[in-house]
Parts: sequence; structure tokens; C-alpha cells
Amino acid sequence: MSAVLRLLSRRLGISLIVLVGVSMLIFGIARVIPGDPARIALGPNATEEQVANLRAALHLDDPVVVQYGHFVADLLQGDLGVSLYTNRPVTLDIAQFLPATLELVLFAGVLMVAIGLPLGMWSARYRGRWPDHLIRVVSLLGVSAPSFVWAVILMLLFAFFLPIFPIAGRITDSFEITRATGFLLIDTLLARNGAAFFDVLWHIFLPAFALAVSGIGQAARLTRANMVETYDRPYVEMAQAYGFSARRIAAKYAFKPSLIPSLTIIGLDFAAMLGNAFLVEAVFAWPGLSRYGVAVILRKDLNAIIGTVLIISATFLIVNLIVDLLIAFLNPRIRHSERGTS
Amino acid sequence: MTLWKTTLAAGLLAATALAAPAIAGGTLRLDEVAVGELDPAKASDYADSILMFNVYDTLVLPVQGGPGHAPHLAESWESDGNAFTFTLRGDVNFQSGNPLTAEDVVFSVARMKALGAGLSYLLGVVESAEAVDSSTVRFNLSSSYAPFVASLVRLPIVDKKLVMENLGEGDGEMKDWGQAFLSANGAGTGAYRVVSHNPQEETVMEKNGDYFLDIAEAAPDTVRLRYGLEASTVRTLIATGEHDISSQWLPPEVMGALAKEGAQLFTESGTGAFYLKMNTTKPPLDDVNCRRALSAAFDYQTAIRMIAITEDISAGSPSTGAIPVGMFGANDSSMVQAQDLDKAREYLAACSHDSAGMDIEVSWIAEVPLEERFALLFQSNLADIGVKSHIRKLPWALFAEQVSKPENTPHISQLFVNAVTGDPDTLLYGMYHSSTPGTWQSPEYLNDAMVDEHLEAGRNAPTPEARQEAYSMLNARLMEIAPTIYSYDRQSVFAASDRVKAPALSDPAHAFGLDGMGFSFRLMEVADD
Repeated sequence: MSAVLRLLSRRLGISLIVLVGVSMLIFGIARVIPGDPARIALGPNATEEQVANLRAALHLDDPVVVQYGHFVADLLQGDLGVSLYTNRPVTLDIAQFLPATLELVLFAGVLMVAIGLPLGMWSARYRGRWPDHLIRVVSLLGVSAPSFVWAVILMLLFAFFLPIFPIAGRITDSFEITRATGFLLIDTLLARNGAAFFDVLWHIFLPAFALAVSGIGQAARLTRANMVETYDRPYVEMAQAYGFSARRIAAKYAFKPSLIPSLTIIGLDFAAMLGNAFLVEAVFAWPGLSRYGVAVILRKDLNAIIGTVLIISATFLIVNLIVDLLIAFLNPRIRHSERGTS
Repeated sequence: MTLWKTTLAAGLLAATALAAPAIAGGTLRLDEVAVGELDPAKASDYADSILMFNVYDTLVLPVQGGPGHAPHLAESWESDGNAFTFTLRGDVNFQSGNPLTAEDVVFSVARMKALGAGLSYLLGVVESAEAVDSSTVRFNLSSSYAPFVASLVRLPIVDKKLVMENLGEGDGEMKDWGQAFLSANGAGTGAYRVVSHNPQEETVMEKNGDYFLDIAEAAPDTVRLRYGLEASTVRTLIATGEHDISSQWLPPEVMGALAKEGAQLFTESGTGAFYLKMNTTKPPLDDVNCRRALSAAFDYQTAIRMIAITEDISAGSPSTGAIPVGMFGANDSSMVQAQDLDKAREYLAACSHDSAGMDIEVSWIAEVPLEERFALLFQSNLADIGVKSHIRKLPWALFAEQVSKPENTPHISQLFVNAVTGDPDTLLYGMYHSSTPGTWQSPEYLNDAMVDEHLEAGRNAPTPEARQEAYSMLNARLMEIAPTIYSYDRQSVFAASDRVKAPALSDPAHAFGLDGMGFSFRLMEVADD
């Protein structure tokens, strides 16, 4: 078995244990939130009898361990129960809402990498000069304000005062696109509808940028710091002594070794965006899973809380796994150490 | 020009071409905070009601601009003791094309009672419903219940044949009673049919061309009811002409800003009020004089100013007593309550508890930030008469749990309560009858024989005049024993663009006096874009 496969199988095993732990933890925490889920679900006008019937139907009167047993038995059959918030199966809700959030977060991730890393690289290359100072100020601004503040500011600037981008939604109502994957950028391409594809891009840009601003700042600052350190290494001095161009030194000798710590942080930022997406989704009326997750927590919708947290945790673990594999690919020392531990 | 520059330029051009606001032809766009429940048997809150009143019809409708109820799906009705017989119209078809029959009414009653959700408790008094023939249905009540006809505005009639063809998984003959089907599809006779329903995003409806009544040409062809929009988003959408009617939950400041920019304000009133409910079992509020002192100390005028949106429109009107203006037993609208600190001090002196030792707990529901302002106002009013108090923020879920025991119930609970059928019985019985303490509506824990007597008289009185008298006496009694501070009569306010006309929400002569029914889209008009 190759070193990378060994790394992959070990990380998958750990991920599975983490998911089981998360399910137990969230199952317990969800039941500690104050309030009777049946009462909240049925609303203020429900009678005591109606509340008691729903409690019985949800097994809420059983001990927590028995309730967890019911949950695991259903989960093994692919059933996460019915959401009290939407009155639909949780699996159906997740299938409908997850693609919207993933599309938003992935697009934001692309922006974070595509803008953040070059900015950091440029800043390091011109360290101590005005482009460096400018980028550092902009990065600091990005890091210091939360995503929802950027969401409101960007909406006001580029959707209200300068009506360049749309205010809400994923696609203009007049486009009728078959939602085969739920990822509208893909669905519009599958439908070979170029106008709809650009419409989706037009809708996603502002919320994704708002979500990515903090990550862009973070990636730029980190890349700069790592590259500045790398510039002091002897092999870079040697490259300079050989007369290589500043651009070649920056891109080939300073940037690549500096990428590894940045990648780790980008992975964590990506996971954080899944959580931050809630407020951005709320501002731009983006029908995603993060908004759904907060709504179900406020309503103590137990099945939906557990389903949402499990899916977000699984996504988090998958992203971290991909980042680990990327780092192993970029850093031979990690591959070799993995071989050594087997 | 390099490839990437060409691509960027093409993208920018495309974005610029698409940058003009989307134009909707004959489309009405509105929003609500909560997910709309499409299954009519589970409908209870405002969004559910909007869906229910447009996708489904009921046997009767409230009379617009006046008291009483008018035939709707029913052509006429008569009562004989505890039996009510309704004759159905013969020209009504469901959206599926199936004709409406008495069997559909019987099925709708059975379904609501079997599911036991939403406002099904309103039909608790129905012992049986039977189809006398295809167009006649009889309800047999277990006891006399004067507001029965009023409660029928919450009995939407569903298409039995369609539901039976779409039963989901479940036990017994009726399986899931069509819950899975009706949570995503319509099965009514209503003026609007469901095109799509995404509980996280929006419900799209279109005009039902086969509706049994005339629908105005200018009524919206398509309606998009959006869910969970942020206040800032709604404000921007309305300002840019991309949204037509806001929910009533926008902060007053945002409503005011939109009104200043030219938005019109729609209103719906007459079904409820904002209350500061006093726990009558907890000292010092177990003493009637102490409760009267607190009632007299409350600054009613400032309360109204706090909810003002413009100089003319407010989210409430001055309270005249225990029953909102417009309902049976309400006082005249000129008999406005006012703060009287001297009177408050007099009552306080007569209270058996020493005011120096009092520490009143004033709670507010965490999900309703407006209540915090009222908690602060009341704290200041209490300080004016030398009574100490402290404020406590309670999430709704915790509040609903705490009020189940009188000792855990705060001294003061702030609540908005509405009559779900527009009848005072559905507002007051649950609040004050001694058989219903310990619910979110009744943190007063009132136990007063005279109040019980008047409530039962109002529920059983055979004529409107007798009901008026019973509720007038109830009103007087409640003002005498002061279990509640009647802060103001509630009025829902909605910001709307000028392309919409909604007489039921702007002209008292066309108002229904029932929450959500003003949003009958067939009665609205939308200007062409």
C-alpha cells in the first residue's frame, strides 16, 4: 500500500470515529437546549393533548439512550426523521439546501485562493514598498470585519447605490433550469444555457465575495509572512546571486515552500465559511443549509439539528482530508514520515 | 488582448446587460418570516394563514367591514339547537377539476380532528359531521357553542378524492392522511394554485382561472411568497422596486424609512392586543389593589408613541379596556386608558403588601426585541411610584415551559395575543377561564367565578345582542380586578410598493377582521410593470 493510501485510510478511519462522537455529542446538546420541541413545533395555540401526542410520536418521553438507539437504527436505513420546521424528511431538506451552500462556499473558496494568494505573493515581493503597505491595510480590513458586515456593505454599495449586482436569490425568476445537481453553475452548463450560467455567476459573486473577504485577508497576510521568511533563506540568496528574475524567484523559489502553512489555514477558513455562510445567506436570501441550520436550532428541531450538524461535520472532515492530501503531495517530508510510521 | 482579459471583458459585459432590475409581469412579491405550512390542517401562524386563505376556501367568510359571517362555499345555513346544517354551492370545483361535495367537508373535518394539529382544537366541540346528501352537510355539536360559525373560517375544505389518491406511508386505512402530499401540493378550491413550494425559499402560486367567483383582471397572475428575508434585504428590495409587500415584522424604524421614501403602509387590526400579564398568584400581585396600582402607573401614551411608524400610522391603537375595539363587548374607541400616578399611589397605599419590599420581575420574550423597550418603560413607570423591579429576558421556549407552574411564572409576562377566528371567545376564554391556567396565554392564573360566568355566557348566548351584553360585563369585571395591563390594541402594519392595491388592508370598509385574510390575493390589484 502506498504512503498516500495509508494516510488516506488512516484519516478516513479517524473521520468515522469523529462523526460518531459528533452525533453523540450533538444528540445530547440538542436535548439540553431549553424548551419542549413538541410545544415549539406545534406553536402557541396547540393544546396539551396535541403536544403530548407529538412527544410520544418523537419518543421524547423515552430515556436519552433509548432515543439515541432509535436515531441510530433509523440512520442506518438512511432515515434522519422528519423536520418539525419544514414538515418534510430531513434528508430531503438537506438534499435541497446543501448544494446551494456548497456552491456558495466553494465559489468563495475559489475567490479566497485566487485573490488571497496572489495578493500575499505580490505583497512579499514588494515588501516594504507601497504595494506591500496597501495590500496589508486592505488585508487587515478584510480580516477585522465579519462576513455579514461585508455582506451588508457590499449589498448597499453594489446592489443599491450602484445597481450592478442583484440583491437576493440564486437565479433570475424567468430562467427555468432543471435542477439535476442543485449546483446551479453546473445545472446551467448541463442545460447549455449560457445566459443562465452568467446569471448564476452574477447572483453568486457578491455573496461569495462577502463570505471570502475575511479569508482573502487571512490568506494574503499568511502568504506574505511565510514568503518574507523564505526570502531570507540561503537558497533564495543564491538564486538572486545567479541573476534569476525577481518574478521567477517569487513564483518558483519563495512561493511554493510558503504555501504549505497557508493551505492548512485555507482549509480551516473553508470550514469556517460553512458556519459564517449563515449570515451571508440571510442577507442575500440564499436558500442554503447554513440558514436552515440556524432556523432549526432556534426551533429546537432535533432531527434537523442532528442531520445538519452531521452533514456539516462530514464536509469539514472531507475538506481537511483533501488539504492533508494536498500538503502531503506538496511536502515530501510528510510523505516520508508517513512511510516511516507504517 | 490575452484570453483572460477577453473572458473578463465578456463577463463584465454580460453582468452589465443583466444589471437592470428583473421585471415581473403581473407578479406580486411578498415575504413572511416563518416557513409557510402548506397543509391546511396544520396551519396556525400568519404565513400558513396566507397560504390557506388563497389555496383553500371555507364554508363561510367574515363579513368585510362589519360583524358576522357571510356564506362562501356554503350557499346558506341554519341551526337547530346544537345542529348546524349547511347547503353547499353547486358551482364549485376543486383545482383538480373534482366537484365539491358534502363528503369533502366531512373528510376535511375528520382529517383535521385525526391529525390534531394547527387550530384543530377549534373543532373540538364537533361531535360528528355527516353528509345528508351530496350538497348538504350537518354538524352535530356536543354542547352549545355560539362562535361555531366563526370557527369555520379555520376549516379549509380539501379535495377528498385527490388526497385519497395520494396517501403516503402510514398505518391503518387512511395511512398518513395525505400529509406528505399536502405539505408540498395544494388540494383546494382556492383562487390560487400552488406552482412550487420550497420551505426555505418561497412558495409560488398562480391564478386559478376556473375559480367559482370572479377574480379581478388586475389581480396578480403570479404570487411569490418568500420566506425568512432579513429586514435590510427587504428594505433594499422594496426601495429598488423588486419587492411589493413586506411582512409585519420589519422594525418600526425600517417601516418609517420606507414610508418616507414613498412606500404605502397597509394595516390589519381588530383581532388582538399587546398585554402585560400579571401573575395573580404571586405576592404582591395576589392583591387586587397592587395590580390596580401597576395598571394605573403604566404609561399608555408613551407606549403608543413607541410603536408609531409615521404621524398617522402606528403598530397599535390606544387600548380602551380588556377587549380590543371592534369585538363584542369592547368599549367605545374614545374611552382611552391613561396613566394616573396619583391613583396608582392610592392603590399602592391600599395594597396589603409593603411597597418598600416589592421587587417585580418584568419578563420579555427574547425573540421579540420590541418587548425589551416596554420592559424598560414599565420599569421606569414603577420607579415613579417607588416600586423596585428587575427585567428578565426569556427565550420563548423557556417561557412556555416556566408558565406551566404558577411559582415559576414571572410577575409580569409580556405577550401579543390574537383571536384566531376573530371572535372574542378565542381570545379571552383561553386567557381567563379558570379551567385553562398554565398556558402561554394565561400566565395570570386567574380564578374568578364572575369572569368564568361571563365567559360561558358569551360562549353560549343565543343571539349577538346577548353575546354583546355578556362580553361587556366581562370587560367591566376584568377592568375591576385588573389581572392584565391592556397596553394597546394591536395593528399589523406592512410596507408596500405603490404598484399594489389591497382594499382589505387599506380600507376599514373592506377589512375582514381576521389575521391573514386581508392577503386574499384575488381582492388585490397589481399594476402592470
